Amino acid sequence: MRSLSIALAVARKDLASEWRTRELVPALAQFVVLALVIANFGFQFDSRTAPAIAPGVLWMTLVFAGLVAFGRAFAAEREQASLEAMLLTPAAPAAIFAGKALAAALLLVVCEAVLLPALALFFNVPLSFEVVSAVLLATIGMAVLGCLFAAMVARVRARELLLPLLTLPLWIPFIVIGGQAVQVGMGAGSGGTSSATSLLIDLDILFVVLTSLVARFVLDD
Amino acid sequence: MSAVVASALSQRFGIEVALDAVDLTVDTGEHLAVLGENGAGKTTLLRIIATAARPTSGSIAIFGLDASSERRRLRARIGYVAHTPGLYLALSAAENLEFFCALQGVDRGRVAEVLDLVGLGDVAGRPAGKLSRGAQQRLAIGRAVLHDPALLVLDEPDASLDSGGADLLARVMRDRTAVIATHDHALANRLCPRTMELRHGRVAGVPTRLRIVQ
Repeated sequence: MRSLSIALAVARKDLASEWRTRELVPALAQFVVLALVIANFGFQFDSRTAPAIAPGVLWMTLVFAGLVAFGRAFAAEREQASLEAMLLTPAAPAAIFAGKALAAALLLVVCEAVLLPALALFFNVPLSFEVVSAVLLATIGMAVLGCLFAAMVARVRARELLLPLLTLPLWIPFIVIGGQAVQVGMGAGSGGTSSATSLLIDLDILFVVLTSLVARFVLDD
Repeated sequence: MSAVVASALSQRFGIEVALDAVDLTVDTGEHLAVLGENGAGKTTLLRIIATAARPTSGSIAIFGLDASSERRRLRARIGYVAHTPGLYLALSAAENLEFFCALQGVDRGRVAEVLDLVGLGDVAGRPAGKLSRGAQQRLAIGRAVLHDPALLVLDEPDASLDSGGADLLARVMRDRTAVIATHDHALANRLCPRTMELRHGRVAGVPTRLRIVQ
């Protein structure tokens, strides 16, 4: 119970800081719209091929937006030397990590709220429940992995280079499975989305548990 | 009873030796000033005492508990003011402390009390980023005593504090064990009956007891 209240306090603090400074979300929202504009002109598509191309554009945009969002989660703390102040309390490092990951995931969800309607608009693809649920489920797993590696590389000078190198290989399952679910949701793939959704939930549970166990060693060295 | 007992503490960063076989004992309620030039190892020693770093070798016990294996238990009893304030600049002074109340498991009612103690009651609602450097340092000191720690570890807390800074430090150190790193011999003389000088990571001579001469 105490861990939950600590996680919520950390998430609330991060969201309040972002709300006041508006450093990340407006920049990310602009980035996702620009990425879609570029993809719109870069790909030759029509109403038949759009459902096959749009999921790829969606995941590419989401991956790069996620790298920026999760990278900032711990880099800002390190720059202000505030992470150490947090860790020098009796609060469990796993709870602090969970709060950071929750806030970063919610910030990415805000960007997704811009990305998904814009994608539907630019590519003229349906925005179904399956599409939204696949993206949200993938966001959970991507957030915990992204934040774990962001915490790991935050003290390294070349963190902007290292974060994608460490994170992207582990995001591949989310991109592959989520991509399939989104394709089906947009009417391009065959079969249902239920098995992809179940797999995404399994992956989320696996990585949430794993990162919670590892977070202590990463944060509190 | 000893609050801090360190034996042969060493800290290496690659080939650089930051602390070399430092022995230290601080009695409960005692105030110790650690003096030394830049790079002498003061911050490294204080970070180890505050459980922010683990020594490469040697042992340290705080309130009878091993500082490496009992870090989380000890952290509830230690207040640490680091070299940089480490505040959330977008949050107000009060919000900064309220957040740490949640982490420390302390009642929020303590915030107003601490803000008054450090002289920031009038600017409680102002964002930490809009406070002067001295006020930020006061806020960092307030955060360190928020949970009423038995041991206070202060790394050059006088940096950027105004003329009332020494009085503030005396107030927060009262009734607590305190280890303070400073360049200011006059401040050390005023706040601490005992000093220890570090030079190139080693204790330079036997810890000294100072006598305040009026």
